[in-house]
Amino acid sequence: MRVVVAEDLFLLRDGLVRLLEAHGFEITEAVGTGPALLQALLTHRPDVAIVDVRLPPSFTDEGLQAALAARRKVPGLPVLVLSQYVEQLYARELLADQAGGVGYLLKDRVFNDDQFVEALRAVAGGGTVMDPEVVSKLLVRRARDEPVARLSPREREVLALMAEGRSNSAIAQRLFVTEKAVSKHSTSIFAKLDLAPSDDDNRRVLAVLAYLNS
Amino acid sequence: MVVVTIFSIVCLVIAWLRSRDRAGAPPSWRRRVRAMGWGLLLLPIAWIAMWLFGVNPATVGLLLLSAAVLIMAPGIAADMAAVLLILLGLYGLAAAFAVFEHRGQVAQVAKAVSVSVAPVPAGKAAFAKMAAAPPNAIVISGGQGSVTAVPRPPNGASLAPATPGPHPPNSASLAPAIPGPPKPIAVPHSPKSAALHQLYVEKITSLHQMAVPWSSPGVRPGPWYAALTGAGPQGYVPVLLAAFLFLAFGLWLVPRTLGRHYLLVSRLTNRVQRLSETRTDAVDTAAAELRRVERDLHDGAQARLVALGMSLRAAERLFATSPGAALAMIGEAREMSSRALTELRDLVRGIIPPVLADRGLADAVRALALETPLNIKLDIDLPGRLAAPVESAAYFAVAEVMANAVKHAHARTVDIHMRHDGDALRIAVTDDGVGGADPAKGSGLRGVERRLGTFDGILAVNSPPGGPTIIVIEVPCALLSLKTSSC
Repeated sequence: MRVVVAEDLFLLRDGLVRLLEAHGFEITEAVGTGPALLQALLTHRPDVAIVDVRLPPSFTDEGLQAALAARRKVPGLPVLVLSQYVEQLYARELLADQAGGVGYLLKDRVFNDDQFVEALRAVAGGGTVMDPEVVSKLLVRRARDEPVARLSPREREVLALMAEGRSNSAIAQRLFVTEKAVSKHSTSIFAKLDLAPSDDDNRRVLAVLAYLNS
Repeated sequence: MVVVTIFSIVCLVIAWLRSRDRAGAPPSWRRRVRAMGWGLLLLPIAWIAMWLFGVNPATVGLLLLSAAVLIMAPGIAADMAAVLLILLGLYGLAAAFAVFEHRGQVAQVAKAVSVSVAPVPAGKAAFAKMAAAPPNAIVISGGQGSVTAVPRPPNGASLAPATPGPHPPNSASLAPAIPGPPKPIAVPHSPKSAALHQLYVEKITSLHQMAVPWSSPGVRPGPWYAALTGAGPQGYVPVLLAAFLFLAFGLWLVPRTLGRHYLLVSRLTNRVQRLSETRTDAVDTAAAELRRVERDLHDGAQARLVALGMSLRAAERLFATSPGAALAMIGEAREMSSRALTELRDLVRGIIPPVLADRGLADAVRALALETPLNIKLDIDLPGRLAAPVESAAYFAVAEVMANAVKHAHARTVDIHMRHDGDALRIAVTDDGVGGADPAKGSGLRGVERRLGTFDGILAVNSPPGGPTIIVIEVPCALLSLKTSSC
């Protein structure tokens, strides 16, 4: 799988490259600035890109802007955005095109390389992966709203994990229940939130996030 | 006098050119005149003083001083012009009173306004004419600066000099024409009429000096006559009028020069006081903020890193004997580093929120709205970035107001209007909560007020018990740039 890495700190970039190579990814290019990233994304069309939000030369949200610009030119170009902090506003902008193939994680999620690589593969496959912090903030914001308030605590846990982009089997593993139980919960959640049920994991995540983001 | 006049013109030109420098590059007529203002009057006034009092060290000094002040400080020149006009007016009043007092002596005191200066031999005709008319007195300048007053001759007596010729007549040569011995009449020189003496006698002296360079072509500069004819018992009237004119103009100028400068000084004094206060506030706030950051780092991330190092050392030691325990310890260390990161993140967010640094105030408030569990309506029109400190102060002001809406007012809906009207950033936050917010009670709004004060910003709170609460924030500032982001 071909990956473009954009990170301006040499130590982190080097670490990411080693980690990915150890997991059998092929690093097409590792860049350190926003313009170089956009260039690399458009020329290589990688299977997935790992992008730091803050990049030189402006040291603002240059990485995010480059990723969004590339996705406008190549819809659905898979991008996993990494950052020292997660912002609802940026998550919303990444999700806005509803095309999938988007991830937004805190940098420390890299510590758990198995989960990180799993997330990277999910994004490359067109899935949507959101940091638990993004999801929990979304849930806090909607907690007072009627439909979300009607969910049982267990259902809310399942909703949060669904929003993070996990599959039914991953959720079942995490909550120590059967996959069947998870699918039952998910049906109930969709009914309570008045969303059209969907078996497709990607579409399910997008629907849940769109609902929470509205 | 030529020298003086040329000097005045040169000074005016220098002042003119300097006024262009002060006003900046585009030197339009109006801007230059406005830059110098009433100070422009100073040179003509000094010139009038010289005309009245003659060329002497005092008047020359006044002219030099006026020129210097006009060039160096046009503002002070305007003040001086007003004061000088008033002084001239007062002097004229005194002179008019003196004339009035001496109206019984009109025959002896020349006190009129018409002045004729004529060279020899035209002087003869002038004198002859004067003899026919009924002048009250004739004052003759001897040509060497000496002044002699001659009483009005009896009716019919000729004033023509006995020996007309190229030589200037002096009082002695006039003598045969006048009955009795030529008798210079002393212009009253009591303290009361000192002004009068100066007003007339010295005026003639200076007139004489003035007349010489402007003699018509063909006439060689030489001795001149100056004759002053009386205007009768009402001679004080024009002097009084002129005095009132000067006085009125001077008084009219006072509020436009001295008054304005006084107001300016008092305004500046207030401003300096306010700036000292807000500077103290800013320094205190910054120090407190640094202290908080230091404490947070010390108790948080720093302590966690120490613990992390200790865990790793323990894992190192355990590795040989019980690798399982060492592994658990390393896992613990990883957890700890995660928590340290979270704490650092929160700390950074408290110093400057990432979206604010990345994108500026508008998006930062949008992000804030996304993270606040309220129904928030945003109406933001901010076509550029502001100076970073202003953005930061405005952001934390809005954050505090919104936190209050959640915590104290139990609001459900918040309206935020934010726009920049060219001079100032205006933010209005309205909530439908219980109201009763008061900056005097809580330290939160008071802190916001102080922080905004550093930028001359204000916080207005309208929060009756029962709500709604309307909070308006206004910070004078300029838009720095139009947005350049690609989205």
